[in-house]
Amino acid sequence: MKIRSKERLVTGMGLAAIGIIAAMVWWTYSEVENANRQRRVTSEIARGLTELRLVTFEYRLYHNERARVQWDAVSDRVDRHIANVRFAQPAQMEILAGLRKKQAAGRRLFAELTAARGGDREDAPLDDASRRFEAQLLSQLLTYQQENFTDAYRLNNLATERIIDAQRRVMIVILAGLALIASSIVGASWFLRRDVLAPIARLQQATRQVAAGNLEFILGIRGDDEIGELSEHFDAMTQSLRKSFAQIERSNQDLAELNEELKAFSYSVSHDLRGPLRSMDGFSLVLLEDYGDKLDDEGKDALERIRAASQRMGYIIDDLLRLSQVTRAELNLTRVDLSAIAREIADALDREPSGRSVEWAIESGLSVWADPALIRIAMQNLLQNAWKFTGKTARPVIRVGALERDAKTVYFVADNGVGFDMAHADNLFGAFQRLHHVDDFPGTGIGLAIVQRIIRRHDGKIWAEAKEGEGATFFFSVKESENGSDEQDHPAG
Amino acid sequence: MDQMSKTILLVEDNPDDAKLTLRAFKRNNMLNPIVVARDGVEALDFLFARGAYAERAGKPPPTLIILDLKLPKLDGLGVLKAVRGDERTRLIPVVILTSSKEEQDLVQGYSLGANSYVRKPVDFAEFQEAVKVLGIYWLMTNQPPPGRHTA
Repeated sequence: MKIRSKERLVTGMGLAAIGIIAAMVWWTYSEVENANRQRRVTSEIARGLTELRLVTFEYRLYHNERARVQWDAVSDRVDRHIANVRFAQPAQMEILAGLRKKQAAGRRLFAELTAARGGDREDAPLDDASRRFEAQLLSQLLTYQQENFTDAYRLNNLATERIIDAQRRVMIVILAGLALIASSIVGASWFLRRDVLAPIARLQQATRQVAAGNLEFILGIRGDDEIGELSEHFDAMTQSLRKSFAQIERSNQDLAELNEELKAFSYSVSHDLRGPLRSMDGFSLVLLEDYGDKLDDEGKDALERIRAASQRMGYIIDDLLRLSQVTRAELNLTRVDLSAIAREIADALDREPSGRSVEWAIESGLSVWADPALIRIAMQNLLQNAWKFTGKTARPVIRVGALERDAKTVYFVADNGVGFDMAHADNLFGAFQRLHHVDDFPGTGIGLAIVQRIIRRHDGKIWAEAKEGEGATFFFSVKESENGSDEQDHPAG
Repeated sequence: MDQMSKTILLVEDNPDDAKLTLRAFKRNNMLNPIVVARDGVEALDFLFARGAYAERAGKPPPTLIILDLKLPKLDGLGVLKAVRGDERTRLIPVVILTSSKEEQDLVQGYSLGANSYVRKPVDFAEFQEAVKVLGIYWLMTNQPPPGRHTA
C-alpha cells in the first residue's frame, strides 16, 4: 500500500472517531435534554397529584364548593401535564397509559362523589348509606391517587435513569473514540517509524556513502510504496553514476597515458630533433669557414640558406615545445597584476637595440585571476606581436586596457600597426597560421596559438578585431574566480 | 700546471656534436687534451680507471667534465650521480651541455650537483661563443679545487 493511502486511512479513522464522538455528544445532549423535560413534567404531575390528594382530603372534611372547584382545577392541570408528556419507551408508555386511565377513573369517582352530594348544602348531614357510599368512593379515589403518585414517581425515576443511561453510553463512546484515536496515533507512529523514518534513515546513510564516493553502496529497499520507488531510483542512479565514473576513470587513464606519451614525445623532440639541425648548421659553417675560398657566391649563399633554414626549424621546434608545455603546465591560479606584467614586457621591448620608439598606454590597476607564468607568456606574445606589427608605422601606439562587455571584464591589447583583413580572422589562432609574409614580419606562427591555449586553459575567450592598415585589437576574458576579489586576501593554496 | 695537463672529459654520444664541440674548443684556442666518452658507462670507466681505461690508474682526474644528458647505457644524470657520489671525483666541476631545456632536466641536474647548465643552440656561431665562454670560465678564470694529483 502506498504511504499516501496509509496516511489517508489513518486520517480517515481519526476523523471518523472524532465524528462519532461528536454525534454521540450531540445525541446525549438531546437525550438528556429530553429526559430532563420528562423529569420536569413528571415532577409537575407528582406535585399536582400531591396537591390533588390534599384537596381531596379537604373536600372530604368540608365538602365545600371551594374544594370542589379547586379539585377540578388541580385535576385539569394534572391532565394537561399528562397530555403534554411524551415517552418513547414501552415501559414508560404503559405506565403513562395506566396513569391516564386511573386519572380519568379518579375524575369519574370524584364526579360521582359530588353528584351524590347533589345540590345539598354543604354541611347537610348525610344518611349512613350515603356516608358509607361516599367513604367507599373516597377510599377508591385515594387509592387511585396513591397509585398515580407512585406511577408519576416511577416515570420520574425512569427519566432519571434515562439520563444516567445516556451519560454512561456517551462515556463509553467517548472512551472508545479516544481509544480509537490513540490506537490510530500509535499505529500511525509505528507505521511512520517502520515504513518512513527507518527507510529515510537508510536513504540518508546511502546518500552520505555515495557522496563520500562509495558507489558500491546498494540501498536495496523493496516495496510498492513511494520510498520503495525512491530507493529503486536511487540504486539506479548510483549504478549509472558508477558506470559514468568508471568511464571517466578510463578516459582519465587514457588521457594520463596520452599525456605521458606527449611528454616523452616532446622530450624526444627537444633532444633528438635539434641534434641534426645543429649538425647541418655547424658543418655548413665549417664549410664556410674552412672552404670559403673554394666556393663562389652562389655556393656560399646556398650554405647560408641551409644555416638559416636549420635555425628557423630550431625556432619552430622551440615554439612547438612551448605550445605543448603551455598545454601540460599545471595551473596555479592567483590574483595577478596584469598592468605590472604589461609594463615589464614593454620596458624589455623598449630596451631592445632596435632604436624603435613606441608609445605605450597601459591602464593601471588591471588585475586578473590567472596563472602568473602562463598569463605572462600570453601577454609577452600579444605585446610582442603588437610591437612587431607596428614596426612600419610612423607613430606606433600600443594600448593595454580593460572594458566591460556583457557584465564581464574584457582585457585588450590594441595597436595601430598593419592590422589584417578580418576575412582571414578565422585562421588567426591556428598553429603555423600566418597572415603576413615572413619576409615582412618574421615569426613561426605559433605565438597566437599559444595565447589562445593559455586563455582557453583559463576557461576564457580570445578574439580579434582589425582593419588592414589601421591596426589590430586582441580581446580576451578569463573566468573570474567564484568569490570575486576576496582571494586577494586569501590566496589559494 | 700548464694548460696541456688540464684534461677535459667530454661525454657525448652524437659524433657530429662531439666533432663540432672539439672544433669550437680548437677555434677558441683552447688546446687542452679532450677525451670523448660516447656513453655514460665509458665516462665512468675513464673516471674510475676501469675497463678500457684501466691503465689510467693513478693518473690525475679531468679538470672539467662536459656532460650530455641523453646518453646510451647510463644517462647523464646517472653519470653525475656517480661522480658526485665518489670521493675521488665529487669535486670535479661538471657542466651539463645538452639539447634539452625541459625544466625537469634543469632542476634534476642542479639538484644532483651540476655546476653549470648550458643549452646547445642550433646556431653554430652561438654554440662556439658558448663553448668559448664556458672554457674561459672553467679552465682559466675558475680556481679549481685542490686535487690529490694536481699538487
